[in-house]
Amino acid sequence: MPKSSTARKLDDAPTLTEAKRPSFGSGPPPPVRPITPIGTNAWLGTVMLLGAEAMFFAGLIGAFLVFRIGSTVWPPPFQPRLPTGVTGINTLILLASAVTMRLALQANRHGEQARLMRMLSWTAVLGVTFLVIQGYEWVRLLHFGLTVSSSVYGGLFYTLIGFHGAHVFGALIWLLAVWLKARQGRYTRQHDTGLQTCSMYWIFVVALWPILYGLVYLY
Amino acid sequence: MLKRLFLILVALTTALLARAARSLACAVCLGGASDSVTEGYNASVLFLMATPYLVVASIVGGLVFTYRRALKRNEKAGEEALVLSWKREDSSR
Repeated sequence: MPKSSTARKLDDAPTLTEAKRPSFGSGPPPPVRPITPIGTNAWLGTVMLLGAEAMFFAGLIGAFLVFRIGSTVWPPPFQPRLPTGVTGINTLILLASAVTMRLALQANRHGEQARLMRMLSWTAVLGVTFLVIQGYEWVRLLHFGLTVSSSVYGGLFYTLIGFHGAHVFGALIWLLAVWLKARQGRYTRQHDTGLQTCSMYWIFVVALWPILYGLVYLY
Repeated sequence: MLKRLFLILVALTTALLARAARSLACAVCLGGASDSVTEGYNASVLFLMATPYLVVASIVGGLVFTYRRALKRNEKAGEEALVLSWKREDSSR
């Protein structure tokens, strides 16, 4: 395991239990209780990021609700219907990727390096499959005449689903970085912040999808 | 100076009250209460009002869950239970 970075040096520094508190006067230093942080700064930062992302998607869903409830006929006439069946299967694929991500975290906690790599690879494969199927469906919809400028229906569809797709793509890039670090054996039971934050983002993106699927495809 | 400002404010208020119907313009008053567009706006507003509470509740729930998990982990490891405290000697660490 490389030990060159400043963060590693800080990690290896003596803990508060070992460190001596400066004594007051000539007496012995007072005892120090061990303190284990409940989370890292990166964890807190990711929580903030996810909060902001949730509000961003809430804004988009709010706009969708205005037009969806405001329209008496939905989808509008002469507009293609969305592929609910294929996207339903795609939803299951994405949900499965959340399970494999969770298993990857569990494998790391148990110190099973090979299983960690396998589960991360499965997560990436499922994520790529989801994006490929989505892309294929988009191409078909474009051929049927559903474009961003064809109607409010098309505009809302591509905005909501497109932003989610972009988030899955971003999560895949993050996952690739985590996969490369995991291959170098950088994650241990104590040092798993990168893996943990990536899994938080991944699960957020996965959890968001059934809401969008229900609203845009089924409602 | 203050007297002049007060007079301007009184004049403005009087003018607004005289034309109350026009000054109460609403940007999203699109139709009657049962109009579908109004219903859409209402649903959207309610949803957007509820979302921040949901987000904050999720964050607090996550923190409570993580804190409890850390407590259990510490107990298992035989360490002293983690205490979130505002005592001065603890917060200075």
